Parts: sequence; structure tokens; C-alpha cells
Amino acid sequence: MCGIIGFMNKSGAVTSIGSTMLGMLDALGRRGPDSAGIAVFSPQNGNRIRLRVKLGDADAPSERTDAVKTQVATVATIEDATVTGAYLRLEVSYDGNPVALQHAIEGVHSEIEVVSMGRSLEIVKQVGSPANLDTTYGLKDFIGTHAIGHTRLSTESRVDLSHSQPFWAHGLLDVTIVHNGHITNYHKLRRQYEMRGVRFYTENDSEIIGIYLRDRLSQGLSFDEALHASMVDFDGSFCYLAATADQLAFAKDPFGLKPLMVAETDEFVAIATEEQALCTVFKQETQAREPGPKSIRTWRLPDTTGKQEAA
Amino acid sequence: MSTIDCTNKTVREINQYIRRNMSEGTDEIRITSPAAQHNIGVGLVQPVHLSIDGSVGYYCGGMIDGPMVHIHGSAGWGVGEGMMNGTVIVDGHAGNGAAASIRGGTVVIKGDAAARCGIAMKGGKVIVGGSVGYMSGFMMQKGTLVVCGDAGEGIGDSLYEGVIFVAGDIEDLGHDAVIEEPTDADKSQIDDQLTQFGIDHPGNFKKIVAGRKLWNFDKREWDVWKSAL
Repeated sequence: MCGIIGFMNKSGAVTSIGSTMLGMLDALGRRGPDSAGIAVFSPQNGNRIRLRVKLGDADAPSERTDAVKTQVATVATIEDATVTGAYLRLEVSYDGNPVALQHAIEGVHSEIEVVSMGRSLEIVKQVGSPANLDTTYGLKDFIGTHAIGHTRLSTESRVDLSHSQPFWAHGLLDVTIVHNGHITNYHKLRRQYEMRGVRFYTENDSEIIGIYLRDRLSQGLSFDEALHASMVDFDGSFCYLAATADQLAFAKDPFGLKPLMVAETDEFVAIATEEQALCTVFKQETQAREPGPKSIRTWRLPDTTGKQEAA
Repeated sequence: MSTIDCTNKTVREINQYIRRNMSEGTDEIRITSPAAQHNIGVGLVQPVHLSIDGSVGYYCGGMIDGPMVHIHGSAGWGVGEGMMNGTVIVDGHAGNGAAASIRGGTVVIKGDAAARCGIAMKGGKVIVGGSVGYMSGFMMQKGTLVVCGDAGEGIGDSLYEGVIFVAGDIEDLGHDAVIEEPTDADKSQIDDQLTQFGIDHPGNFKKIVAGRKLWNFDKREWDVWKSAL
């Protein structure tokens, strides 16, 4: 019984999305007290890639930070590096294959995991309540154009940072998901991917969604096509949200077994497992509706590159 | 009449307020800013009029016996579920499983109802001004479901003595559900109910009842049984 949320400001302008997400997560916190997390998309800084790297399971030794930085410096230029909570946050200039960079970092130690990588995307997540997440990472100060978030009630797998959501689609820049439900053919799909050499970081069935989308997108499917394909390939009860640098989407299983409410105005779209989250944050501004079973919907930010140049 | 503002109140505090006021003889209670909280006004077994200004979460008015609950907004899953008697009116839309397993009373949804509306009804009436989702009226044992809009897949699957009326399109009839002509008595009853609750009459209704093939097992009808749920 997890809670998932999503928000996109349709104009593409940056808002104080951190406090919006925190408000919604707080309202859903009851659905899942085990962990909380958000994935935020903010305008990119030149061509820099932002990484959030989990250094270890418990208090990681400080030399591990240096070891990661040394390793990264052999393939990329480090523009900025800070340790925040359980993460090493890096901004790098790098033109190569993201997977190569990811492997270089994760090769330093088996406990190290690249939690997110992208030009716009950053994921913060940890065990505990949304309020704790704010205390550790200052959620309220996050700004961005769109975001997804998650609050977890663990049913099948461990409770730790890696098993928390959102999940990055390991290896593909700026793609992330959150999920409420069960992917019941997870083990079968996982075996198929593992036979092809794909690494899984957790025992959490939700992780397969990110990996599946990465696989489909790298086969050349559009974001929308990949979402539709998942409706055929996933069994179980699920609602998931997926986001890319400029898109936000939801997918709801063919039986509509998991709740999801969508509130949309000319300015924004807000999505949450329960209407309470929307009522709490957006008051009575908007009417929420529940999409039908087997539905998929995608929102895309306007292309603002031309406008910025003109300004 | 008394009023409770739900802002910063827990569901327990709201429901305790309702019960306390009922025991003190208040016959009309207004509930403001419900913010889609769950379980508002469940299990009330004395007559009272609850007027809720805004949308509610799950199971609003569930298991009641006698009250009148008017939701001036939309309702989440399981509105009025398991009620014995009374009236629940939803001005907006309703989520999955609206009026599931009710034994009596009336549930009115002026907008659309999602999947499994009126599932396993054992009595009572459900009137939907809009459309209903898939598997609505599944295994209805008694009672009436009136749908002014369209019906999703599998309407009336495995019906017993429940009766369903649909004015719009039927995506697909459930197993053993058959269409017959509504009687004049049916028509005048529907007319009265729609007028009573201020719902526009959509025109002609189709009547769905059990084909009675699943009522008793007959191995010669194995093909029907194989495909039934």
C-alpha cells in the first residue's frame, strides 16, 4: 500500500516544487511509513551531468568519497562535489556513455550505487517519513519543473535506501519511476534480463519498471510506446508514474486495482494515490478524477529552448 | 444544526463529533473541508442528515442504517458499502465499488461510478446519473441498479435476482446476463426515482436480468460454466 505522487508545471517554468511534493507526501505518509523519496527535474546546468551516489549501507568511511572522486576524475571533469546525507552529489562534465561512468563509480566498492544520473534529474530518498527527508535534504528548497515521489509500505523486500523509491532507470539519463502495487511476473522478467547480463540492485519488484523502460527506450520505442508495451508485458496490480527530462506519465493496470487520482488545470497537473494529497496541497482549486483501468497518459513540457534564445 | 470543520482533525475526531451530536439530539450535521479523508460517517445506525461540503475518501457512509448522507463533491472507493438502510447522495463522481454489498437503502451518484458499482448487492437501489465501469452489478443477489449512461465490460455478470437498467451503450454483457423489455411498472418506478433525485431522464432503458443458466449446475452446459468466473 504505497503512495505515489507526481506534479508538472505545464508552462515549463520552475516552481518551488519541493514544498509541493513534501505537502503531498505528508498527506500520503500514512500509506507507507517505511521510506520516502522524490525525483525532481530542474533546468540543466550547461551540459553537466548530476549524480547522486550512495556511498554505503551504513556510515561509509570518508576515504570512499575520495576513492569515488579519484575514479570519476579519470574519465570526467568534476565541476562540483558535496557530501549530503548518505550521498555524494557530483556535477561532472562528461561526454561518454553514461553506463561507463556508472560502472566506473560502482566498481569502487560493492556497496556503492549510483542512485540517479541525469542532466535535469536528481533523486533523494531514505528510510523514514517525508518529514525526515525534509530534515536531511531540505526538500522544501528544491526547485524544478516536474517531479515524482513515493512513500513506501514494504511488503516483500527489505527496507533500506536502495529499496526505496523513486527508482532511476539505471544507465539511462533522466528517466525515473515510482510504483504502487505488485508486478507479479517480476521474477520471470528479472530472469530474462539477468540472462542478458542486466544488474539488479534490489529485490524490489518495482525496480523492474525502470529497467524495462530503459530496455524499451533503448530499442528505439518512444516514451509513450514503451508505456503501452509495459501494459502488455506486466502482470499484476499496478499504478506507476514515469518521468523523463521533459515528460510525466502514469500507467494504470487493466483491472484498475490500484487507486490513482489526477487533478489537472491549465497551469499544472497533479497526480496522487489518494485525493487527500491533492486536497491538502491544492485546496479546492481543482476537481480530481480517477482514470479508468488500462489507461496511460503523458504530459510534455513546452519546448522553451527557442524562447530562451529570443529573450 | 451543528457544523464541524475537518481541518487538522483526524477521522476519529470527526466521527466522534458526529456521534456525540447525534446522541445529544442534533438531527442535521454539516461537515466542511473534509479534504477527501476516509471513513467519514461510517456505521451510523440512527437517523441523521449529514451534509458534507467537498470530496470524501473511501467508505463514506459505509455500513449505515438509516441516515441521509449528502456528499457535495466526489467520493472515493466503496461509498455506502454494506449499508442496511438510509440514503447516500454523491453530487460528483464515485470511485470503485460504490454501494458494494448494500442490503437496503438508496445510493445516488449524479456523475459517473467506476468499476464494480453495485457489486454483490443484496437489496436496495443504486441510481447512477452517468456511466459505470467494468463488472458493475457482478453477482447481484437482489435490488436495483439504474445506469443513465453507459455500462463497461461484464455488466451483470453472474446475476441472481438483482435487476439492472441501462440507458446508454453496453460494452459487453456479463455471463448469464440477458436483456429483456422493461415493464410499464419498471418504467414508472424509474421515472419517479429520477424525478425525486433531480436526474435528467435519458430516454429508454434496457433491462438486464439473470438468464438463470448458472443458478443450477448442469453438465450439459459445461461450456457456459467453463467460461464463467
